[in-house]
Amino acid sequence: MANRTASKTAGTNKSFIDRMGGQKFIVLIIVIVMFIFFCAMSPQFRKYTTVVSILDYSYYIALMAIGVTFPLLTAGVDLSIGTGLICYSLIGGYLVVHQGWPVAAGMLVTVLMGVIFGVINGCLVALMDLPAFLATLCTCMITRGFGALVVGGYGIPWPTATAPGGWFRSIFKIKIADQNIPIGFLWIILLVIVMSFVLNHTKMGRYTRAIGSNKEATRLSGVNVKFYHVMAYVICGLFAGLAAIAYSAIFATVQPGSGAGFELDAIGGAIVGGTSMTGAVGSITGTLVGVFVICLLKTGLPFIGLTANWQQIITGLVLIAAVLFDILKRKKEGN
Amino acid sequence: MKKKVLAVLLGGCMVAGLAAGCGSNDGGNTADSGDSGDGGSSYHFEVVVKSFQSTYWQAAIQGIDAAVEELGVTVNTTGPNAESDIADQVNMLNNAISQNPDGIALAANDQSAVLDSLQDALDAEIPVVCFDTGVPDAPEGSVIATIATDNESAGAVAAENMYEVIKDTIANATEQVRIGEVNQDATSANISGRGMGFINKMKELIEADGKTVAVIGNQFYVDQVENNGDEGSADVIIEVAVPAQTTVELSATEASNIMTKEDTIAIFGSNQVTAEGVLTANQNLSVLAATPDEGIVGVGFDAGATLKAAVADGTLIGAVTQAPVDQGNLAIKALYDYCEGKEVSDIATDSYWYDAENMEDADIAPNLYD
Repeated sequence: MANRTASKTAGTNKSFIDRMGGQKFIVLIIVIVMFIFFCAMSPQFRKYTTVVSILDYSYYIALMAIGVTFPLLTAGVDLSIGTGLICYSLIGGYLVVHQGWPVAAGMLVTVLMGVIFGVINGCLVALMDLPAFLATLCTCMITRGFGALVVGGYGIPWPTATAPGGWFRSIFKIKIADQNIPIGFLWIILLVIVMSFVLNHTKMGRYTRAIGSNKEATRLSGVNVKFYHVMAYVICGLFAGLAAIAYSAIFATVQPGSGAGFELDAIGGAIVGGTSMTGAVGSITGTLVGVFVICLLKTGLPFIGLTANWQQIITGLVLIAAVLFDILKRKKEGN
Repeated sequence: MKKKVLAVLLGGCMVAGLAAGCGSNDGGNTADSGDSGDGGSSYHFEVVVKSFQSTYWQAAIQGIDAAVEELGVTVNTTGPNAESDIADQVNMLNNAISQNPDGIALAANDQSAVLDSLQDALDAEIPVVCFDTGVPDAPEGSVIATIATDNESAGAVAAENMYEVIKDTIANATEQVRIGEVNQDATSANISGRGMGFINKMKELIEADGKTVAVIGNQFYVDQVENNGDEGSADVIIEVAVPAQTTVELSATEASNIMTKEDTIAIFGSNQVTAEGVLTANQNLSVLAATPDEGIVGVGFDAGATLKAAVADGTLIGAVTQAPVDQGNLAIKALYDYCEGKEVSDIATDSYWYDAENMEDADIAPNLYD
């Protein structure tokens, strides 16, 4: 680990790519190349509405991915964000649709539920020393059951854009002169900037990395490791809650029992963007770029006429290539 | 020290939460209902549904509850979390058999996984009624009746009603036109049945009016088409799409791909998820309309609040709903009749076309669950 960090900072003979941000930069180029490729291959893909759709379907994955970068940096993981997202949205939506709560209050509860489950995950992992994989797998199951239980198995339709209370859908998309403007992307960029600052310029961020690098050494140097370790999961939960809002705002109905597998898109995006599963290495901007690799594959492959089985095979191959590239690069740096 | 206390407290909270969760979970997952208590004539049935987490099954349970009240029997309903939890469902079925009830109503998630259990039921002389989905290879004598939607004809109902609206456009078209179909998967008998039902009926109707049809897209569906036309020269293309996973988002992407093609005149989403996918795609495209002259004609399947709203406001010209309430109800009645020594036989339940005009009607509305 020390080796790795040293070569990153010491590099007097850094390559152009490293100066531009290393893997992030390459992944960004991959995103652009993929986009151009899909545009060239499919006249339908070239349309403005397709771009809006890609952005629409990327918000909730991007938000989950920003959050899950923190547990990943501590060498942990949070598998509960996917089913959690659905659970929080179901509970918030239930209060709005069936209990007559104002939409803003429902949204607040949705985000709060995310934070609560973040605290629970954090306590299980950091205070009770459960392996992160196991602890969050359990909360994944709990949120899946809990959400369905609260709504009694029924899907929750958050208010539509034109209905009373539908204003919250315009947080992510507004209509100007009959054109949909995907303003949600601005919020994502803003949150990426804020969280990048938190990760790189605050104690919270530095200690998160330190825990992932060497937890014992961090503790011995007097850091309140447990607090910061819990906080990594709380941030993740908070963003899962925000992702729940994004999901509710983009899709018409939230179905209980769904959500399993969403977390893999988010974690996959973070990994493609250069976050290491062994902790300490990674960045928020990298995660965002990685998410767009996933989202472009999900949207683009159907548009070039590839059927379901091929979509999955190609997505798998691209992820292997991305992770392999990361490993090779690190080995080279290690030498 | 403080932290340890905190940790213990939090641990306690979690355990308490889990216990509470499990406790109420039992309440949610097993609906004990009705108890006539007059000995002799009261039967106990076990019901295993496909999943508790979907509105469709909640509607089926309504029908079951109504039968319970009417017949004075007791029923215990269980089901796995998701329709993909096949092993869980087999466990639940085995548990149900070991309770030695007077009968079992089963909506099987997988037609082959339940075969051994059905043999056990037969050995234990417990009659089984399959509802929603049949088990074609069930051991002889184990399943006394199957109560299910005829999915082929349900798909055909969608095709007939869609064709009414688009037939003039097809007749007058000078260039190739395209009809889309989004199917959730190419594996389950229900979805592929209604997918093919739609394709075959649409092809039949178009060819009867003297035009040619080519079916393209997902290989599973294309391979089942008899006398498929040539994509290059056909008057009408039916394009079949299947998303890589059964999410609204991927269904929407597949739908967008078809709906952005210039020659598309109509699209059919063959279950709730894919129909909502069509509607989600339409949020950005705004192409769905009442006639092919104004845009693309959309048809859905099943119900749910979102779909119902779209049918009511005319975004979709209509949709096909099955009869989950009837199915649950008839399954219990068939078991009861069998126990009373009456003849029981298979029942194909109806599927209904509903649109903005008839969705409030008495025979339609109860099957339009939220």
